Amino acid sequence: MAAHEFELTRNITIGQYLPTGSFIHRIDPRIKIVAFTVLVAAIAVCDTYAGNIIALSFVCLLFRLSRIPVGYGLSGVKPAMPFIVILAVLQLLFYGEVASGGTVYLKYGVIIITSESIRLVIVSALRFIEIIFVSSVLTLSTSTTQLTHGMASLLKPLKHVKFPVHELSLIITIAIRFVPTFAMEMEKMMKAQASRGAQFGQSAWWKIVERTKDMFPLIIPLFHVAMNRAEDLVLAMEARCYTPGGERTSYRKLRARPGDYLVLLFCLLFSLFLIWFPY
Amino acid sequence: MEKGLTVRKIVIAGVLGAVAILLGVTRLGFIPVPTAAGNATIMHVPAVIGGIVQGPVVGLIIGLIFGVSSFLNATIPLFKDPLVAILPRLFIGVTAYLTYAGFKRVSEFAAIGVAGFVGSITNTILVLTMAVIRGYLAPGVAVTVAVTNGLPEAVVSVIVTLAVVVSWKKLGNAGKKKSKISGDF
Amino acid sequence: MKQPLIRAESVSFDYVVNRNDVIPVLRDVSFSIYPGEYVAIIGHNGSGKSTLAKHLNGILKPIAGNVFVNGLNTKEDKYRRSIRQQVGMVFQHPDNQIVATIVEDDVAFGLENIGVPGEEMKERIDFALDAVGMSTYRNRPPHHLSGGQKQRIAIAGIIAMRPQCLVLDEATGMLDAYGRRDILRVVRKLHREGMTIVTVTHHMSEAAEADRVLVIESGRIVMEGTPREIFQQQEMLHQLQLDVPEASRMARLIHDQVPAFQSGLISQQEMIDEVRRLSGIRGADAG
Ligand SMILES: Nc1ncnc2c1ncn2[C@@H]1O[C@H](COP(=O)(O)OP(=O)(O)OP(=O)(O)O)[C@@H](O)[C@H]1O
Ligand SMILES: [Mg+2]
Repeated sequence: MAAHEFELTRNITIGQYLPTGSFIHRIDPRIKIVAFTVLVAAIAVCDTYAGNIIALSFVCLLFRLSRIPVGYGLSGVKPAMPFIVILAVLQLLFYGEVASGGTVYLKYGVIIITSESIRLVIVSALRFIEIIFVSSVLTLSTSTTQLTHGMASLLKPLKHVKFPVHELSLIITIAIRFVPTFAMEMEKMMKAQASRGAQFGQSAWWKIVERTKDMFPLIIPLFHVAMNRAEDLVLAMEARCYTPGGERTSYRKLRARPGDYLVLLFCLLFSLFLIWFPY
Repeated sequence: MEKGLTVRKIVIAGVLGAVAILLGVTRLGFIPVPTAAGNATIMHVPAVIGGIVQGPVVGLIIGLIFGVSSFLNATIPLFKDPLVAILPRLFIGVTAYLTYAGFKRVSEFAAIGVAGFVGSITNTILVLTMAVIRGYLAPGVAVTVAVTNGLPEAVVSVIVTLAVVVSWKKLGNAGKKKSKISGDF
Repeated sequence: MKQPLIRAESVSFDYVVNRNDVIPVLRDVSFSIYPGEYVAIIGHNGSGKSTLAKHLNGILKPIAGNVFVNGLNTKEDKYRRSIRQQVGMVFQHPDNQIVATIVEDDVAFGLENIGVPGEEMKERIDFALDAVGMSTYRNRPPHHLSGGQKQRIAIAGIIAMRPQCLVLDEATGMLDAYGRRDILRVVRKLHREGMTIVTVTHHMSEAAEADRVLVIESGRIVMEGTPREIFQQQEMLHQLQLDVPEASRMARLIHDQVPAFQSGLISQQEMIDEVRRLSGIRGADAG
């Protein structure tokens, strides 16, 4: 990582919330999470050409509805393109034996290309793009805070089987809370060490051992910082009467409107359709 | 001590989860060995450390955070599949803890080191197995990746785990000794 | 006299690192803090100030002796929540006290813990954010705030719980001059409105604002009195590796040259007044 890239870490966000105020933004986060999960599951199962084309059109429609430029979704796909291509080639060349159904187009040594393996390649590429798009819509239209609250609320019934729902959501909140803090800390350490002449990732890329050694002076202090902060935070939370497993009230109340349930119903039906779609 | 989640367990799971996320988004935790499954990473090390210092539940939760974040940030199709990105990660901290607990009686240092190794290998093996099952990688490719990525990952994991855990537990003559204040209700 | 809010009776405390490593810190410490008081605790690094402060809300419990908060013994677990609600504590590091990802959620954290109902919470959060002058930041993530602002959020999180006493353990320790000034302004205002304040500090000018100063050395209270009484004993403080406020030192210096100038001054305002008195100038606001 070159010196001018130091500043990058300051702007880290997990999930890049883009408030456009569309109706998708206003849907109860719990509903969105359930709908998302169902959709992803359906996409993962659906392995036909037609099904995937329909699914792809549907997720593009979601971008329109949430008034988020499709560019945001594409930017998630772009860095993956080389991998998609490499993977596709590998699958195409070596997966013929496993996906041995269909017509055999080419057979040369270990290389077997069948209509089945071609389908596998195209469908998995499409699937990947669809999943990136759906998750982009979810994270762009829902803030991380909302997502965490939604998750916690969904898991609430698990309390009856002693599952620590609130504790889990607190853990996730703390994790999200500290990412930017640690990033800034990291930046400070990099600058301090750079000023003492340390170089990060300056070694040539093939010197793997060198480059790996370069990262220890950064990574290990990062863990130390985290663990030390943890001790402080424990005290601060106790000072504010926090008791794990205790009865608490909650400030944020989630309310799902009738329209939200309609959206959920629609997503469920659509997912079922994808799963059973015969072509 | 093992009675559910204490404040300390919650907080340590949280901050180590933050480190796991950070190592992923900044790519700081990447070991540059380019292979079909992307770079080798040390993003799983927080789960290993969490498992060793605070037990299997904390290790599992950090693994979950790591898995979800790698799922959300995935740039390669392999990790856009929750069965590959999330499920295997739950076991990292758990196996690390079990190893540590098993070897503790032999030697604290050895236990930490071996746990760092086992936790890392758990990640490699389970992720790749899942990748083969789900049809992203051919078995032969997976074995290659296990060697080219898995080994450097395991080595780095052992070093970082030892450095962090030994000093957290104030083993040896680490100088400034501190007792952990309360935290356990 | 009024009942003390906090009463420490012969408190001793050791940190137990492991079986053969015990660090003795507090030795036979007794004192009382009365409702509405402003008490400063000073002492050099490692003298035991933070350890003492952590006894005031039962985070640490005495090994010998007792601490009572409104008559409740901090050793009894069933009073823990009540004690921590009555005595709030703000720590040194601005970043290590904020739990939530959004300012108002963080202020709500303590309220959720003590079971305040949803409707009342909103009111209390509004009040607390307003009291520290951070109302406009309620929807911000904490990493967009300066150190001083984070510290004000930490204070808001405490005062939303309506404690009777606010303990600040070097709450201004990591802040620049501006951040510190903001915090002091908030603390002064809370004190005026009746909050009991206990502040641990290395800034003697902050201690000078208190009603009473406790000086700690090796886990014992070695001096106690009004800031004026304490800061007059410059030599004694010097032996304890402590300073006096800037104003005190200046006053001393001038007094040595100009005997008419009083030497026992402890604040900037007193200095200004003394200069005016001697030179016969009366400022517009002095009448
Ligand atoms: N958690 C701990 N475990 C063991 N020893 C500790 C712990 N915390 C503090 N000590 C030791 O106890 C003594 C008193 O520490 P304390 O933090 O109370 O001092 P302090 O007056 O607040 O110092 P400072 O001005 O640096 O904040 C010191 O010698 C310190 O090293
Ligand atoms: Mg201190």
